Amino acid sequence: MAEFVQLLFNGLVAGSIFGIAALGISLVYSVLRLVNFAAGDFLTLGAFTTFFLATSIHLPFIVAVLLSMLLGVVISLILEFLLWRKLRRTGAGLLALFLVATGVAFVLRQTISLIFGGNSQKFDIDQIKTFEFLGAQIAQAQLAVLCCASVAITFIALFIKKSTIGKNMRAYADNPSLASVSGINVDRVIIATWTISGAFGALAGVFQGTVQGQFTNGMGLDLFLSILAAVILGTIGDAYGALIGGFVLGVVMELSTWDALLGGIPSTYKPVVAFAVLVIVLLFKPEGIFGVKARKV
Amino acid sequence: MTQTLLKISNLEGGYGDIKILNGVNIEVPEKSIVTIVGPNGAGKSTIMKAIFGIARVTSGTATILRDGKEVNVFATKPYNLSKIGIGYVPQIENIFVGMTIDENLDVGYIPESGKSLEELKESMYVRYPDLVSRKKDKAGQLSGGQRQMLALARALMSAPNVLLLDEPSAGLAPALVDQLFDELVRINQSGVTILMVEQNARRALEISTYGYVLDMGRNRHEGPGAALAVDPEIVGIYFGKRAQG
Repeated sequence: MAEFVQLLFNGLVAGSIFGIAALGISLVYSVLRLVNFAAGDFLTLGAFTTFFLATSIHLPFIVAVLLSMLLGVVISLILEFLLWRKLRRTGAGLLALFLVATGVAFVLRQTISLIFGGNSQKFDIDQIKTFEFLGAQIAQAQLAVLCCASVAITFIALFIKKSTIGKNMRAYADNPSLASVSGINVDRVIIATWTISGAFGALAGVFQGTVQGQFTNGMGLDLFLSILAAVILGTIGDAYGALIGGFVLGVVMELSTWDALLGGIPSTYKPVVAFAVLVIVLLFKPEGIFGVKARKV
Repeated sequence: MTQTLLKISNLEGGYGDIKILNGVNIEVPEKSIVTIVGPNGAGKSTIMKAIFGIARVTSGTATILRDGKEVNVFATKPYNLSKIGIGYVPQIENIFVGMTIDENLDVGYIPESGKSLEELKESMYVRYPDLVSRKKDKAGQLSGGQRQMLALARALMSAPNVLLLDEPSAGLAPALVDQLFDELVRINQSGVTILMVEQNARRALEISTYGYVLDMGRNRHEGPGAALAVDPEIVGIYFGKRAQG
């Protein structure tokens, strides 16, 4: 029981991080039809800039996190204006966009190494402090991540659901040609999309860095395929699906290591579970949990 | 003498290198219903798509009267057209299927309409009571007739001066077609000018103040709607058997 509670808790923590990161990818896809392969490296960027601002120049941690989110937004918008907008105008296809996004990922990662070095880093946070809950050892840092992530998720979900710009984003994703003739400013929708993706990608990186303890410049990349699995599980382009897909995947990955399940799998193989989930979804329900089968036209 | 609200002059254009419109002239007087009819491929829908930047305009002008001033339509970005009083209901995919009915109305609203969101939404629900009980349902679950009503309501949410309708009766069951045209008359009586393109030519012309017959991307005939609807030459040549039957 204690082990189950422990794994469930770990799964929820991991899932909240997957969920936030997956949401950004899903939103970008729904609005721009672009699978952002550089999304993982925005997580790394968030973790490293927060580390630099908080540990090296001693800004308060919260300020460091907010500035990192801002940087995530700024870089996302620079890429939009210099790259994505131009590619859209030339009518670049999925493959071209995929290759460019992969290139962006490489450049980001190498730039991070260049600036911060290749060593692993660590936030100045007490990772050891724990308390007992139903027999499980709950780390305070992890609990804090779960709480902050839940607040962030609630905020984004409500923003997309209720705000005018959120509704416009969904309208544009639903039917771009109708959206642009209904008075929706497409450029504003795209900027909002990159803003959410950049800010919350960086935030997810800070959360992941906190949970992992130590992190390297490969952190985002290591996580990216699991996040992508969450995106596809929750139906690509469905923001709420991405959140739920993230939680489901996080919990499944953690529970897969449970002794009671035929001894469980070694925890280093957790990403394999993500792949297995991805393959199963693609084989049996390629449209994801919430997707409707694509209409044949 | 009523003023001209929307004026399209010598419009030429098409898609890519394919030219569809070869100099079209349309005048839409204020508070009128104007219908453009003509055979398939005459370029009827292309006129509307040209206004909304979907089709290419190679030459010609379009102006709309807004607060007593003439505004250049082609110099206005498509997403700003609702702000100068032009509403548009495309022929297909004219609602946001994945959003609720209420949200479809929200998205159609613009602050420039001069009315509050709640006030306009309330008036839409009064006008289309069928939609009230389904406010929270996804628009994709509506029937064909209800979809068309929602599409009209969405466009009316911007409180347009002129509503552009691309084949509003397409795909509707015959009983619903009558309802639709009755509804268009009601919308017009509430002060909204209508410019529509219709396959169901005779039915549309009967309710129209004025009609244009388009052929090969050019004006062919024009006249008061009721007269065009019964003009034997036009009925024979352009409307085909379907309209006569």
